[in-house]
Amino acid sequence: MGAEVIYEVRDASKSYGSVKALSGASLKLHAGEVIGLVGDNGAGKSTLVKVLSGAHQPSEGTILLDGEERTWGSPREALEAGIETLYQDSGLAPHLTVSQNLFLGREQMMPGILGKLGFLARKRMEVQGHDDLERVGIAVPASNRPVSALSGGQRQAVAIGRAVSWARKVIILDEPTNHLGARQAGEVLNVIRAAKAKGLGVIFISHTLPHVLEVTDRIVVLRLGRIVRDAPTSQFTPDSLIAAITGSADAEPGPTSAE
Amino acid sequence: MTDSTHTTLATPRPAADRAAAVRDFLTAQSTLLLGVLAVLAIIFTILEPKFLSVPTASNILTDWGSVVLIAVGQTFVIISGGIDLSVGAVIGLSGVVAAWTMANVLDLEQTVKGPDAWFGLFIGTLVSVGVGLLVGLINAFLINILKIVPFIATLSTMGAALGLSVVISEGAPIGSANDFALISAISPQSNPLSPALILVILVVTVLGLYLHKSKFGLYTYAIGSNAFAARAAGINVARHLTWVYALSGALAGLAGMYVYIRLGAGSPSSGTGRELDAIAAVVIGGVSLMGGVGRMLGVIIGALILFTVQSGLIMIGVEPDWKKVVVAVLIAAAVAAQVLQKKDGR
Ligand SMILES: Nc1ncnc2c1ncn2[C@@H]1O[C@H](COP(=O)(O)OP(=O)(O)O)[C@@H](O)[C@H]1O
Ligand SMILES: [Mg+2]
Repeated sequence: MGAEVIYEVRDASKSYGSVKALSGASLKLHAGEVIGLVGDNGAGKSTLVKVLSGAHQPSEGTILLDGEERTWGSPREALEAGIETLYQDSGLAPHLTVSQNLFLGREQMMPGILGKLGFLARKRMEVQGHDDLERVGIAVPASNRPVSALSGGQRQAVAIGRAVSWARKVIILDEPTNHLGARQAGEVLNVIRAAKAKGLGVIFISHTLPHVLEVTDRIVVLRLGRIVRDAPTSQFTPDSLIAAITGSADAEPGPTSAE
Repeated sequence: MTDSTHTTLATPRPAADRAAAVRDFLTAQSTLLLGVLAVLAIIFTILEPKFLSVPTASNILTDWGSVVLIAVGQTFVIISGGIDLSVGAVIGLSGVVAAWTMANVLDLEQTVKGPDAWFGLFIGTLVSVGVGLLVGLINAFLINILKIVPFIATLSTMGAALGLSVVISEGAPIGSANDFALISAISPQSNPLSPALILVILVVTVLGLYLHKSKFGLYTYAIGSNAFAARAAGINVARHLTWVYALSGALAGLAGMYVYIRLGAGSPSSGTGRELDAIAAVVIGGVSLMGGVGRMLGVIIGALILFTVQSGLIMIGVEPDWKKVVVAVLIAAAVAAQVLQKKDGR
């Protein structure tokens, strides 16, 4: 791709006690690029996501945003730098409404003294939340409904809508199509395309390989905490991708293949 | 590009929205609770006509005043997913420390009158709220830093507060700033619309608005609903919970002063068991012990129901000793009702 690298991680490692969940992973993400991150259960995908999103500090390695070295003390710092993450299991606060979830952590306050006293501009956020979701291609029921009243697919749509409408640079989606029907999964893929069109860098984690092959520009394969393959999506077939994930293609976890 | 199939449903029309709002109101917990309250009042009046009287109402409101303050604090705590068992003991401790300060630091005599008594009560209120705040901060420390679950953390501070109040008072009530003209002017005991009660209503109203309309309230719900999601959204969960427990403690301190004014003395046992009353009011009011759910209005009415039942039963001749049993039954019944309601799909 011609676009500049917006987000990069070099030689990142992370251990949980004696478990080395990630060893020496390096990754480059360009603006307007969708990377598919795949690997078996326990391969280290979620760990890499947590390093990229500021939820965990890597034991070793460096992170660069727009070419500048950064360290994230907390997810908040990464969020403020424009990196949005949809965690595999964090989800939403089910008792809060759609718009409360959309704006959680970034509320709009009432004008004047009431706002200073901490009062929220609820109506304004409901209207704007609805518009934000429509803009990224998601139509959900009234934004003043509690999330617990939504179907699984709708909830996921809200979670993704939240991430996409807030992201300024990078959006990381950890298994966003899990538990979704075919139609809803199709909509998630559309949202990913919309994010790409906005010029965001997207990291998409999924076990549904047809989705990965359909929507990504590049695929990164993790196995036992190492990146064993990093190549344009066009170089993979469904079979070769499975082989790369399970390791049956090359007997040993080999080095990263050159582009 | 993405206008083909949408995840679902269009936005409901405004008219349908309004109809839904009316339906929501009619089925809302608080409307239901008001109905329960009315039915209870009717039943007790039929059984004992004297129930419907100003003194009874005054008694109920007086009790309500002391418990609704800690119930409001408890509402924040329980909605955030925790519990605060220390509030009853804090009422006793803060009342005792305030009385001790008035008697021994300000050197106020029991018979003090006029401006000196007002000054004493003002300082007493500051001390009382301060003691509550301190216990709240200790609770937050145990929960956030030592990672003790709220139930155990606040059970420990409850024990410590009870013990300390006995140590400080040597087991007997401490009296001070006892200008009885003054006390009875502001005491809810003698005057249903007393300054003390009006202050309580003011505090409760402001905090109700705060729970439902402010960012602080929203974060309280968010943490109780899904702490992980709250953290992922950038909310500083530990700091927020610190404020929540501090608020609960400070309100228990204020309740301690309310009880002091009622009794005219700081008594170490004056709050014993009040935490159960508060929890009862909260769950009767529809707040879920699992966190994330509940309305302040429900809790306020819940506390009224609690004391209506208690004084109604006493008036129809039930022994006062049964009070705690009644509270316990109400807690169990309210939680069971919540579980059933959930099964109904709401
Ligand atoms: N919090 C944790 N504590 C201990 N081990 C963990 C933790 N999270 C992940 N692991 C381990 O790290 C490895 C990688 O896990 P993960 O990144 O979740 O993989 P994936 O998302 O690819 O399924 C696994 O062996 C897993 O058991
Ligand atoms: Mg995972």
